[in-house]
Amino acid sequence: MLNFKKPRHRLSTESTDGLRLSDLKPGEKGRITEIGGSEQFRQRLIELGLTKDAEIWIDKYAPLRDPLELIVRGYHLSLRGMDAQKIAVERIN
Amino acid sequence: MNFKIAIAGNPNCGKTTIFNGLTGARQHVGNWPGVTVERKSGHYKFSDNKFDVIDLPGTYSLAAFSAEEAIARQHLLDDEPDVVVDVIDASNLDRNLFLTTQLIELGRPLVIVLNMMDMAEEKGLDIDADTLATLLGAPVVPVVGRTGEGLDLLKEKILRVATEKSQKTRSIDVIYPRDIETEIERINSLVKANNISNRRHRWTSVKLLESDKQTRDEVRDLDNGSQILDQTNESVDRIERLFKDTSRAVISHARYGFIQGALRECVSENLNDPTDYSRQIDRVLTNRWLGLPIFAFLMWLMFKLTYDLGSFPMEWIDMGVVGLMNFFSTLLPDTMFASLIVDGIIGGVGAIAVFLPNIFILFFIIAILEDSGYMARVAFIMDRVMHNIGLHGKAFIPMVMGFGCNVPAIMGTRILESRRDRILTVLINPFMSCSARLPVYILVAGAFFPDHAATVIFSMYILGIVAAIATGKLFSKTILKGMSKPFVLELPPYQRPTGRSLAIHTWERGYLFIQKMGSVILVGSILVWALGYFPREINLERDYAGEGKAITQNYSIQQQDLTLKYDASVELSRSNYHSQMIAFENSASFLFLRSQYDSLRTHISSQEKSELFLLKQTELGEITSKRWIGRLGKVFEPLIAPLGFTWREGVALITGFVAKEIVVSTYGVLFGVGEDVDEENQGVISGLRSSGMTPLVALSFLVFTLLYTPCLATVAAIKRETGTWTYTLFSIFYSVSLAYGLAFMIGYFGRMYNWLS
Ligand SMILES: Nc1nc2c(ncn2[C@@H]2O[C@H](COP(=O)(O)OP(=O)(O)OP(=O)(O)O)[C@@H](O)[C@H]2O)c(=O)[nH]1
Repeated sequence: MLNFKKPRHRLSTESTDGLRLSDLKPGEKGRITEIGGSEQFRQRLIELGLTKDAEIWIDKYAPLRDPLELIVRGYHLSLRGMDAQKIAVERIN
Repeated sequence: MNFKIAIAGNPNCGKTTIFNGLTGARQHVGNWPGVTVERKSGHYKFSDNKFDVIDLPGTYSLAAFSAEEAIARQHLLDDEPDVVVDVIDASNLDRNLFLTTQLIELGRPLVIVLNMMDMAEEKGLDIDADTLATLLGAPVVPVVGRTGEGLDLLKEKILRVATEKSQKTRSIDVIYPRDIETEIERINSLVKANNISNRRHRWTSVKLLESDKQTRDEVRDLDNGSQILDQTNESVDRIERLFKDTSRAVISHARYGFIQGALRECVSENLNDPTDYSRQIDRVLTNRWLGLPIFAFLMWLMFKLTYDLGSFPMEWIDMGVVGLMNFFSTLLPDTMFASLIVDGIIGGVGAIAVFLPNIFILFFIIAILEDSGYMARVAFIMDRVMHNIGLHGKAFIPMVMGFGCNVPAIMGTRILESRRDRILTVLINPFMSCSARLPVYILVAGAFFPDHAATVIFSMYILGIVAAIATGKLFSKTILKGMSKPFVLELPPYQRPTGRSLAIHTWERGYLFIQKMGSVILVGSILVWALGYFPREINLERDYAGEGKAITQNYSIQQQDLTLKYDASVELSRSNYHSQMIAFENSASFLFLRSQYDSLRTHISSQEKSELFLLKQTELGEITSKRWIGRLGKVFEPLIAPLGFTWREGVALITGFVAKEIVVSTYGVLFGVGEDVDEENQGVISGLRSSGMTPLVALSFLVFTLLYTPCLATVAAIKRETGTWTYTLFSIFYSVSLAYGLAFMIGYFGRMYNWLS
């Protein structure tokens, strides 16, 4: 009864290799392959349209290198580097 | 007929603009019960029907993760509005429709507003509203909130939907992929057995499948509750195994799938990059090298304008207040009532009223920054810095505003979305040294550190910032930890603010200031007045009137003596004067005598004045010490004695609790130079120096003044924004303790190592 919140199937987000959203440079495009982090964090990002397979475009980094600004589903969204690190992406052109 | 309308939508989609467009000025701003999320309600009339409108907090979803979502959801579920108006940013359809899919499931009669059509057009989006309406099963009204275009049609549609609602409920569902639909159906067959209000079966089933806690709790109480929950667990399990993700994520994903399917059919885009001009502007404003300097310059400009432009009306108001005081004091006989009106009410409230122009100008500039879209960039630029103390980039703005006045700054914390961030920002804000503290610094630093006044004053500001940062770090690691939400920030395109929305924003906040702060300041001023006015009957130790008379007499005898001597000398000199060429009155010897006489006379009368002044000062000091305010100071004296403070500092600090600028005028009263002093008054400065205060104690006093609760109006603002007395009292307790602790340490170590001596 109490286990309704936890995903019982481990998601492959723990892997530290692979490209992260925070690795992309301004002007680069990527596709989300996986979102890690807490349940609430993942849910919030999905609600904002950062779903698996969504295409994103890094627009720029803030003057102090953090946060970064990206374009997803036609609008501008800003995320912190440490959060962007939880998002696995593949580069597309 | 009377209808209830709720306006829902994403943050920043223009809900409030639509709300204002519908209701005009007939609105009321308050808080939602129990939480300090702003609640705006209003009404309008349309073809003989009255519509009560509520502006729900902006949310991305109805998942009830945040206070805003919980409120919106609860209102929609429990208060059952007759029509839900879903405002959508047409230039950002994908994400905005995510909430719509949930509103559709909710099953209340729905009208969809396609707002910001102008932006969508600019972006090159061609939206077929009719097809969208068919796909979503609700009327879709394109409008431009900024200009009010389309609002009449919107009112018509709302009326139509409101009056039709009894005939049938919604016919269109959000369709999920087959595997999900199967599970929804399994749960739904059990849920349907119950008579859930308004037949919200599908909503309940979908929410159960999303593992929504609140829905699970509700279902548990149903007759077949355990059966439903068993089925839910089974279905959730199956979905998660099938899709290798949480069921909630799977469903959210499917919602986006539904949205994309719908949009493919009714939107054709020939993208000319929409936000191109915004990107161009951002290339400068958030530039790697220029971003921070430009921001710093704009902040400086904001202050400059606030204080420079504000100083003119400030003088007028000041003159008005003085005029009013004069008018009433001549009009009214010299009674307690007159003193209450003139010194208590007009003087007290007037002292705050002079800040009104500054505050309105500040709010106006902030409204420009917000409406233009720059505020979001401020958060973007400053996030890195604020993140260090566990705050969102936007929290920087109230911090800077605090240098002006903590009251609007604390009210400005509303721009923060999370309650935890708001409370933390509110709690550290009082340490930002507001402009009212400056006169105290100038007075005390000028009296004790005349050669290093600027350095001392500057270090007060720095100390305030350090205290704020340290407190922020401390609180975010202790009492306010872990409640922080993930940082997401939308960067809307830049826009030219409209006069109307600037006026509304400025007035709304300014009015709150007048209303709330006015009442607190009024009560506070009357209190301080009463403390200084009572008791009337005082036994003075010395006969000041008699002594004064004696002094006058003594000096007038001296003057007479002098005149007699002078006359005699003149006569003597005249009799010895023999020159025919020049009249005696023009002779050098006479002129010499005359000038000597004049200077002696001036000397005597100035001596008389200063002796009388000293007497008056002592008298006022004694009177004050015997009024309630002085007795209160004496009561506190043992408590503050370890800091080296006397009852005078006690009185000054107590009155400073009402408003910091009063500290200076309190010292004015205490040293008998009257209330009308400014920070450069020599009487007060010499009074302070001769009162036995050492430079070290003065430094402690400055630090105490900086750190303890700024003023009553700030307390009222804290209460208003945190919504509880707990945080309000905690804030007072914390600031006073910090002030005391630091002032004590300065005194202690200062004596130990002989600082400043
Ligand atoms: N171009 C354009 N701008 C609009 C329109 N409607 C609103 N805006 C602007 O969009 C911004 C946000 O509007 P608000 O009404 O404050 O949005 P809101 O949804 O109430 O925002 P929250 O209170 O944060 O939920 C403001 O700067 C408005 O001037 C529109 O139709 N066209």
